[in-house]
Amino acid sequence: MTAAVSRAVMTLARRCLCGARDDWGMAMQAEFEAAVEDGKPFVFAVGCLIAAGRAMVGQREGRLAVTNYALALGLLLPIAALQFEQAIGLPVFTGSSLGGPHTGGEQNPYLAWSQNAATPILVSVWLLLGAAHLCLAWALVERDWPRVFDFGALIGAATIALSLFAGVLMLDLSPLVAQVAELGIELAAILAIVRLHAQASSEPLAG
Amino acid sequence: MGRNRRPSKQMLTLLEALSGRTQAWRHGYDLMKETGLLSGTLYPLLMRMTDQGLVEAEWREPEQRGRPARHVYRLTATGIALARTVAPAQPVSSTNVVFA
Repeated sequence: MTAAVSRAVMTLARRCLCGARDDWGMAMQAEFEAAVEDGKPFVFAVGCLIAAGRAMVGQREGRLAVTNYALALGLLLPIAALQFEQAIGLPVFTGSSLGGPHTGGEQNPYLAWSQNAATPILVSVWLLLGAAHLCLAWALVERDWPRVFDFGALIGAATIALSLFAGVLMLDLSPLVAQVAELGIELAAILAIVRLHAQASSEPLAG
Repeated sequence: MGRNRRPSKQMLTLLEALSGRTQAWRHGYDLMKETGLLSGTLYPLLMRMTDQGLVEAEWREPEQRGRPARHVYRLTATGIALARTVAPAQPVSSTNVVFA
C-alpha cells in the first residue's frame, strides 16, 4: 500500500518536473529504487514532490503551469459544478427560478406550457455548459490553446442560446445575470492566461 | 548576487560531503544518507548548485540490470574552490573532509 502510494507520489513529482527540469525528474525517479530498497520510499517520494513543487514555482514555465491549475481548479471546476447544479435543479424549480414575470413563486398560467416545454432544452444547454467547462479546464491544464478557444466559443454560444431561451420563452433574464457575469470573469481570466503564455513564449527563457 | 551570499547550512553540509572525495561521483541517495538531508532539501540544492556551476552531474549506467540509469554528482573546480573558502569558518564535523 505504502509502496503504491509512494510510486504515485513519485510519478506526480516526475510530472511536475516535465520540461526544462525533466532530467532532474528522471534522476529522482532512478534514486527512488534505492529508497525502496532502503525501506523509505514514502519519505523520499514526498521530499521529491516538495522539491518538484519548489522547482516549478521557481521557473517561469512552472509558475504558468501552477496558474493554469489554479484557474482550472479554483474557477472553472466550481463554475462547471454550478452549471450541473442548475441543470439538476431546473425541472423542480422551473416555476420559481425561470418563471418569468410572476410573483411569489407562482407559475404564470399563460407561460406554463412554453416553460415546461422548454425545460428539457434548458437542461440540455446547462449540462452542455457544465461539460464544456470541464473540457475547458482540461484543455487549459494541457495548454491545448486551439481546444481552449473551441470550448470558449462553445460556452459563449451556449450562454447566448440560454439567454435567448430565457428571454423569449420565460420573459425573464434575471436568472442569467449571474451566468453572464461568471462568463465575463472566466473569459477575462483565460484571456489573461493566454496572454501571459504568449508573452512567455515570445521572450527568451530566464528562470 | 546570490553567489556572494553566505552558503546555507544545508549547502555547507553538502559541500562538506562532496569535498570529502572530490574526484568521486556520488549518487543522490548516498548523499542523502551521508548528509542527513531529505530529498526535498537535497535536490533543490543540487539543482541550484548545478545551475551555479558548483556541481556537475552525469548519467551512469545502472549497476544492476533492469534498473534505470542514475544521476551522479561531484564538485566542479569552482565548487571545490568554494568548499575550500568556506571550510575554515565552519567547525569540521566529519572525519573524512579533505579539501583537495
